[in-house]
Amino acid sequence: MRRLDPSFPRRSEMGRPCQVFTRFWVRLGMELRKFNPVMASLTFDPTHVPQRGKARRGATSKPGPVPRPKVAEAATILAGLGLGVCVGLAVTAESWSQLSATGGLAMFLGNLTGLAGSYLALIMVLLISRVPMVERVLGQDKLLALHRRLAPWPISLIIAHALLLTVAYAEVARSGFLHQIRTFLSSYPDMVTATIALVVLVAIAITSIYSVRRRIRRERWWAMHLLMYLALALAFAHEIALGPSFVGHPLTRLVWSLVWAGTAGVVLVYRFALPIYRSLRHRLEVVEVHEEGPDTVSVICRGRHLESLAVSGGQFFEWRFLTRGMWWQAHPFSLSARPRPPFLRLTVKGIGDYSSAVARLQPGTRVMIEGPYGAFTTHARRRPKVVLIAGGVGVTAIRSLLEDLPRDCDPVVIVRASNAEDVILSSEVAELVRHRKGRVHELVGSRSEVRMDRLSELVPDLRHRDVYVAGPEGFVNRVVATVSRLGVPKDSVHFEVYSL
Amino acid sequence: MRRAPAVVVASAAGFAGIVGMHAVGSAPTTLGIASSGPVQPTPTTTVPPSTSSQSATTSPPKSQSSSSGGTGTAVGNSEQYGYGVLSVKVTEQAGRIVDVSVASLQTAEQYSQNLAQQVIPMLKNEVLSAQSARISAISGATYTSEAYAYSVQSALDRLKAK
Repeated sequence: MRRLDPSFPRRSEMGRPCQVFTRFWVRLGMELRKFNPVMASLTFDPTHVPQRGKARRGATSKPGPVPRPKVAEAATILAGLGLGVCVGLAVTAESWSQLSATGGLAMFLGNLTGLAGSYLALIMVLLISRVPMVERVLGQDKLLALHRRLAPWPISLIIAHALLLTVAYAEVARSGFLHQIRTFLSSYPDMVTATIALVVLVAIAITSIYSVRRRIRRERWWAMHLLMYLALALAFAHEIALGPSFVGHPLTRLVWSLVWAGTAGVVLVYRFALPIYRSLRHRLEVVEVHEEGPDTVSVICRGRHLESLAVSGGQFFEWRFLTRGMWWQAHPFSLSARPRPPFLRLTVKGIGDYSSAVARLQPGTRVMIEGPYGAFTTHARRRPKVVLIAGGVGVTAIRSLLEDLPRDCDPVVIVRASNAEDVILSSEVAELVRHRKGRVHELVGSRSEVRMDRLSELVPDLRHRDVYVAGPEGFVNRVVATVSRLGVPKDSVHFEVYSL
Repeated sequence: MRRAPAVVVASAAGFAGIVGMHAVGSAPTTLGIASSGPVQPTPTTTVPPSTSSQSATTSPPKSQSSSSGGTGTAVGNSEQYGYGVLSVKVTEQAGRIVDVSVASLQTAEQYSQNLAQQVIPMLKNEVLSAQSARISAISGATYTSEAYAYSVQSALDRLKAK
């Protein structure tokens, strides 16, 4: 009988009967654990601290690449430059005589809003395309927030574009508004597809309004939102065929087409192809589901070539478990430890249908991943000393961040939970902190009993440390406000919000 | 947003760059340079020659006057519209417009060429019946109609000036 240990034999080395036997053993262990929840994991040894120079199986995987803030800044500046170019294109396609003609002003504004609106739509797509060099610096959560904040602009500009041009052409031809719409659809090239694109855009915009989005199921809303790619593709043809800046200007047309093609390429590669490639290469599957607390489980996955998965502590993946009821959704969960090839671990708190379904995952379930994403890493540090503040399930990101901190760096870890049993991974955190000559404070109790203003007492040199906060949204907001008030500069506060 | 000033500066730079490039490389019928009356040189770089045979060689606008009673012809300005360049020749006799013909037409692509061929006869009828350049545009050929009207107007101005 093979003994189970962290350097688990590879699947190819085990014969089929051995796989069945192992799976039975793990399932038996999981059943037994119902009587004693605090049993250690059968496959994953989370406190194993590798010595230097050990590069074989059992060591941790490659560290994540260092983010370069200048890349993100350069990208932002380029985006601004492009917007100026678009406005310039619209302005230089006009003349005074055209402006003063009937409908001239509406025509000019229609062209301007069309150019600016479609350019900003491209920026929107690029923001969520998960380009690694930018995502590493800003973080997926900030990019999503930017995407949401920018959204009203391209939407209103494009709707204004459609209305203004219809009005302008109707004025010139002295026909009615509706008649002009019919003319557009019948006698101009590519206007039918452009109108379909506009309808899709408006529909997506309406479903994204908060009060409407609340009532739609997340998966349905997501599927609708993806139609935006289709809308953009449909709209491209009419821009090239009808835009006054493009017709008769082959160079401008070429540049515009290249920008569109480039955006499509970036999306195809980083949003779709790279995650698929990673999932196929690493071939993750669940080997064990292991209880950590009352409604929290750790899921341990095994995969191939995990030594080459470059992850920084504190990063997360989007997980897609290929089993009935879960395969069409991808949810973000942090790794709760650095990968120990061939194993990965994530820890999930069971709130909502999906997270409860995670607790019922069967060993052997295939997993697809997208990532690693997140800027909540030690690379964001501005100063050598840190304070790590974890609320509830936020301790997962903190726990994996800890592994990336160097020895003897004296971290202060504050774990906040409502009940004693909600404090998970405490032995691991304690071990890691001890190794780094730091200290852990566990603050357990309800919000009225524990006040976070005590932070300055717990951490006297708070102002000289970088602060990392992870947890539910309300908790993170309160703690960030508190530490800012206590004098920690904004650049030194890093946070990760766990939304439900 | 911390990087906001840099973004604004970059936008302004992009805008200035495009306007600068356009002003350097193209005809004065662009925004910022007054265009009414004075002779316009033919636009050179921005519009490629059309593919069809309808385009005559563009000729610089000129006025001719015939010495016989009351007949005059004038060629209007070359009006650049988004899809091409158009100028017309107006023939007047005894104070009435008797003919409007196309002096030069270059369009950017086939669609505009077809459109112009269809629409120009209709526009000619409009000018002849209105006896002025104040015509209503043909639906579906807004830019072409405007360019036609402006060119007719400048030709009429020239005739009056003679």
